[in-house]
Amino acid sequence: MENIRALIIDDEELARELIKNYLKNQPGIQVIGECENGFEGARSIAELKPDLVFLDIQMPKLNGFEMLELTDDPPEIIFITAHNEFAIRAFEMNAVDYLLKPYSQDRLLAAVEKVREKIRTGGRNDQKISQLVQQPLTEKLERIVVKTGTKIKVIPVDKIVYLEAQDDYIMVYTDDSKHLKQGTMKFYEDHLDESKFIRVHRSYIVRIDQVVQLEPYAKDNYILKLKNGNSLKVSRNGLKNLKEKFNF
Amino acid sequence: MQNPILSARKTFIYYMGIWIIVVCFHTFLIQTSGRMNLTTALTDSIVSNLLFGAIGLGLWYPIFFARAEDEKVISTVINNIVGCVVAVGFWLGLTYFLLVSVFSHDPKYIIFLRNSIPWRAGIGIIFYEVIIMVYYLIIFYRNNKENQVKEAELKALVKESELKSLKSQINPHFLFNSLNSISSLTMIEPAKAQEMIIKLSEFLRYTTSNKEEKLTTLDREIDNINRYLDIEKIRFGRRLIVKQEVGENCRNLKLPGLILQPLLENAVKYGVYESTQGSVIEMICTCNSSALSIVIRNGWDPEFQSNKGEGVGLRNIRSRLRILYNQDDLLNIRKDPKNFEITIIFPQT
Repeated sequence: MENIRALIIDDEELARELIKNYLKNQPGIQVIGECENGFEGARSIAELKPDLVFLDIQMPKLNGFEMLELTDDPPEIIFITAHNEFAIRAFEMNAVDYLLKPYSQDRLLAAVEKVREKIRTGGRNDQKISQLVQQPLTEKLERIVVKTGTKIKVIPVDKIVYLEAQDDYIMVYTDDSKHLKQGTMKFYEDHLDESKFIRVHRSYIVRIDQVVQLEPYAKDNYILKLKNGNSLKVSRNGLKNLKEKFNF
Repeated sequence: MQNPILSARKTFIYYMGIWIIVVCFHTFLIQTSGRMNLTTALTDSIVSNLLFGAIGLGLWYPIFFARAEDEKVISTVINNIVGCVVAVGFWLGLTYFLLVSVFSHDPKYIIFLRNSIPWRAGIGIIFYEVIIMVYYLIIFYRNNKENQVKEAELKALVKESELKSLKSQINPHFLFNSLNSISSLTMIEPAKAQEMIIKLSEFLRYTTSNKEEKLTTLDREIDNINRYLDIEKIRFGRRLIVKQEVGENCRNLKLPGLILQPLLENAVKYGVYESTQGSVIEMICTCNSSALSIVIRNGWDPEFQSNKGEGVGLRNIRSRLRILYNQDDLLNIRKDPKNFEITIIFPQT
């Protein structure tokens, strides 16, 4: 049996102890390290290259999701948390399993088996998400993290002016800076609070209170003026969204 | 506030209808009793009655505004008498002036007009009182309806806040995380697991058995938050440092139950959950003869806080204080880049 090298990332010592105790003397899995926050976690993943990470979500500074977003080539993930409202997002990030604290040893070992299965079949995850998730996602993004060089920056969503699609990346514009980040427009359209953000074009999502006015540009074409002076193209669907939002 | 008669077309038509009936009646009466021709009687009737009709509409405004400020019986009566004299006097004068100028060529009518002034005044007073009464009824009816709506709203609000406070009493994540810690302790340190179960049980018992509207002593509240903080200390170890200063003579002072724990939970959430180093949570209770004052302070890093504004918990506490003490300024928040500080004052009676 192939040996799985696992890393534990949780800010509570007792929670880490529990995982270690559950896995003690279990064949085929070995805990190679533990971290108590997202920063340490991101660093350890890069250094140790584990096969599997047991990841808590609620952690200081950088939560589990944010840490994962900053990780290139992430390992298999099992989320272990007391929050049930993040399950959908966890599976969107291709998590193998999602355990709710407190959980039994059998439950943890079953999750590890799924990882083993996934590694053996070459990364195919056949798990039906809908069976695992009872709770719809209720939490909206409150901040996003970006990496500039080795520095990590946290941007509250209220500081975002707009997002622009650039191939597989998103350019995040704030009042005084811009940051490139991996991700899709779809993800941000779904996870940003729709009372604050609006999709106006295939390539643009705009914070609503940044909108100054909508101007006709050419025949059936509109551009949107923003507070910071920028003008963005508006697509036909975007126009429809704007009409619904502002009732005109 | 607009005159209710003018605010809907239908009521205005009714109002006019009543005056037309009065005009017909008036015409008939003076034509038969005064032995004058129909045109003269009709003119007299139309001038005097429609004039009162117009004054009647205007009466709404002084009545509405006088009533809004003044509810005393004696002043209502005085207002009424003065209003009546002014309105009827004004009406009589104007009617007399108009009719005299219209019928200046008809001395017989002028004599009739002069003789009829006393009974005209009498009828004017009756008109005035009837109109005023209708207005009072309208105002009364409206206030009544408004009060009913307000009462219903208030009831809904109370219900909602009760539900919210029930929900916020025990944070499920705190509970599940604590149970997870216990689960871990059973394997490595059973005695400590037992201690934590007992603390958690006591905390749950206090929280579920206390009615929020009841006052309790600071001593009991402090016991409860210490149970809560002890549990969090087991979870977070060195990351949670608690400092408490309680003035000795404050311990028996009164405050609403279960109000400190959510504030401490808030401090733990923003201080400890978001800190990789240790976070100090300070609680300082001071008092004098008229009030108990409690300061809860935690270190924080605003850069990493989500910009949610005031959470449900704080708003809930604010509204509880407002309901209990009828004061708005008992909870104050001060933030700087290092510390988040809540000061809360409990008046002592």
